[in-house]
Amino acid sequence: MKIQILGPGCSKCKTMEANVREALSLTGVVADVEKITDLDEIMDMGVLMTPGLVIDGEVRSVGKVLSVDQIAAQLKGGK
Amino acid sequence: MGCSCGSCGDAESRLIFACSGAANTGYLADAVARRLNSDGSGGMTCLAAIGADLSGYVESARSADKNVVLDGCAVGCGKKIFEARGLPFTQLVMTDFGVEKKKTEITQDVIDRVTAEIRQRI
Repeated sequence: MKIQILGPGCSKCKTMEANVREALSLTGVVADVEKITDLDEIMDMGVLMTPGLVIDGEVRSVGKVLSVDQIAAQLKGGK
Repeated sequence: MGCSCGSCGDAESRLIFACSGAANTGYLADAVARRLNSDGSGGMTCLAAIGADLSGYVESARSADKNVVLDGCAVGCGKKIFEARGLPFTQLVMTDFGVEKKKTEITQDVIDRVTAEIRQRI
């Protein structure tokens, strides 16, 4: 699994990254985590508000910090 | 402390979508959307990308505070694209602003007038 966290590096983006890593630990899911901070690259993905969460190429969340539980549900295949 | 990065969603997000169809009315919708984008009334983004179900665009529209869909005519392609995906939106139709499909010449004055009227309504 590949997870991309979209955001320029503000506090919300950092919280999102921490929550992603905690969710991975909680679920035991193995994933490559990539941070994308370049705004042009982020906008090319159609993401206009950050933070954003992308799982295996699909944008799952835009403009809000997901909780650990919400991310864990996404990792298990939920929406 | 709120975020100051400018993209975190702390500011109100108003997205503008134009049908950009082939008729004069689609051209007007596109021109108005670009004008609203350049004057800061909202951020123009791609209706075609929503129609193509590109996840970043769809999720951005789902998370925006307001989506303004500028359709050229009563066919309402933009409206149908948003309705089909259950996305919230406000629709404005160019033919409701004194423009006749396939007849009215889209001059700079028409673009200025319709932009001003729509700016008051979004």
